[in-house]
Amino acid sequence: MKVFKLLFLVLAMGLLSACSTNTVDKSPLENKLTVYSSIYPVWDFTSKVGGDKIDNKLLVPMGTEAHDWEPSPTDIAALEKADVLVINGLGMEFWANSVLGSLSNKNLTLIDTSKEANLIEGHHHDHGHNHDHEDEHEHEHDHEDQHKHEHDHDDETKLSYDPHIWSSPVQAKKQMKIIMEELSKKDPENAEYYKSNFEKYSTEFDKLDSEYRESLESLPNKKIVVSHEAYGYMTHEYGLTQMGIEGLIPESEPTPQRMAEIIDYVKENNVNTIFFEQSSGSKVAETIEKATGAKTKVLSTLESLTKEQIDNGDDYFSVMRQNLEALKEALK
Amino acid sequence: MPSILQYDFMIRAFIVGIVLSIIIPLIGVIVVLKRLSMMGDALSHSSLAGVAAGLAFGFNPIIGAVVATLLASLSIEAIRKKIPEFSEMSIAIILSAGIGLAGLLSGFIKNATGFNSFLFGSIVAISNFELIFVLFTGLIVFASLILLHKELFFIAIDERGAILSGVPVKSTNFIFTVLTAITVSIAARTVGTLIVSSMMVVPVACAMQLSKSYKQTAVLSIIFAVLSTLLGLILSFYIGLKPGATIVSICVCILIIILAIKKLRS
Repeated sequence: MKVFKLLFLVLAMGLLSACSTNTVDKSPLENKLTVYSSIYPVWDFTSKVGGDKIDNKLLVPMGTEAHDWEPSPTDIAALEKADVLVINGLGMEFWANSVLGSLSNKNLTLIDTSKEANLIEGHHHDHGHNHDHEDEHEHEHDHEDQHKHEHDHDDETKLSYDPHIWSSPVQAKKQMKIIMEELSKKDPENAEYYKSNFEKYSTEFDKLDSEYRESLESLPNKKIVVSHEAYGYMTHEYGLTQMGIEGLIPESEPTPQRMAEIIDYVKENNVNTIFFEQSSGSKVAETIEKATGAKTKVLSTLESLTKEQIDNGDDYFSVMRQNLEALKEALK
Repeated sequence: MPSILQYDFMIRAFIVGIVLSIIIPLIGVIVVLKRLSMMGDALSHSSLAGVAAGLAFGFNPIIGAVVATLLASLSIEAIRKKIPEFSEMSIAIILSAGIGLAGLLSGFIKNATGFNSFLFGSIVAISNFELIFVLFTGLIVFASLILLHKELFFIAIDERGAILSGVPVKSTNFIFTVLTAITVSIAARTVGTLIVSSMMVVPVACAMQLSKSYKQTAVLSIIFAVLSTLLGLILSFYIGLKPGATIVSICVCILIIILAIKKLRS
């Protein structure tokens, strides 16, 4: 059976390359960097910068809840052979420190894309008062300083900073810039190529940013209720407030007390939409819908895209625009 | 009206919680008398394997739980028959199988929050369908247990004697197995698999400290279970705790208090 599959594949590859002029060569050639990216946003940014000069694989599988995912032994083995690992940072990858500590791969470059973000402090999720406090000082840290964000799995709700940087196009652009700079350091031959790719998307980010700004700043309502606080940088950027049913990391379900707080909040602020994310299901959102009459709608966290979305050719920009439409509808 | 009852979801939680705290201890009394206290644990972990299979392969997890729990309880019975002198071993075997399978299958689940809600229950988000389902099955389980209570008690105390005096042991055991499987599965969805097994044993343990007869034990276990559920839900609402875990902890506290009082008196 395996033999037939292989034969078939070889034939198919042959046919494809015969028919198409621009062949996509999947085998990691010696001059291609082997890159692993942790979650969808950084994978997408890395793919856009690296183009066909890198072989970029996404670690967290499509449609999987990104906060829960941990590398399997197979993934660790793959990382031993990799050139670059791109992570979001700030505890989005709670496994990063222990995995990096256990690797013997001396060649591996870690790209932490959170280095230049204007950080928002993570707050212990309590009693629904939402303070978005921005830490203005650009905190610089090199990889030795990683342990600052040491984050063990049992201590989920105590992230020191909100890791969902990509939710703001302004911060996402910085993430892509870091990826471009680090890739250029690792692979100076293609530095120009990486730079030109970054510049192309840099204007895309600016465009997205101004779309968000123009659409959201004129809307009368500013409060959104979301399944977990995955939109902090976006809400901060455009003057919205997010009320998360759960904190920075989705765990299981809110306590009865939290449920009551959310229901009161929705009623008091005339919130007309409860946003939930595809991956987590809508059971809790529907309960709130029953209690308040607000509608439930999807707002993607972008932490992970489903297979359907990828097959549709969705990317960071298209999903961010879908989110914008949903937000406009909800805040009218 | 206290503020806790202004919320529809809390009223649902109370209804479901009370129904379950009536039927789970009733099953628990029989299980404890049969010396199978860990049965609830084995079954709830097996139900978790069914849930995981459902979530991983895209069929209804509750159906998965019912099937898995049925298989598990029938297997326990079968193994128990093979090694009557070490009947508790059958539970350990099925418990291990359940945990193993649940763990394996959970690797194929794309989103852990759904799975977690089965571990710790989803009592704040009970849908209409779940509410009706719990009420309906609760009624059936309750009625069957009441109708069969004499036979069940006899078998639990002395299986050989029951066979000799012509009690339909096989069919009674089978019905009890099915009832247990259904109860564990509906409870897994609402109060969580971790709670089910505790509810089966701890209220019964409390009742046994105070009562001498089978009937009294059954009634008292229900009272303790309902009390813990009400207190647990109220506390979790006002202090912001996880409801399932709060209910169990209160039940254990009640047991400790009862034991302490007994000790002081003697």
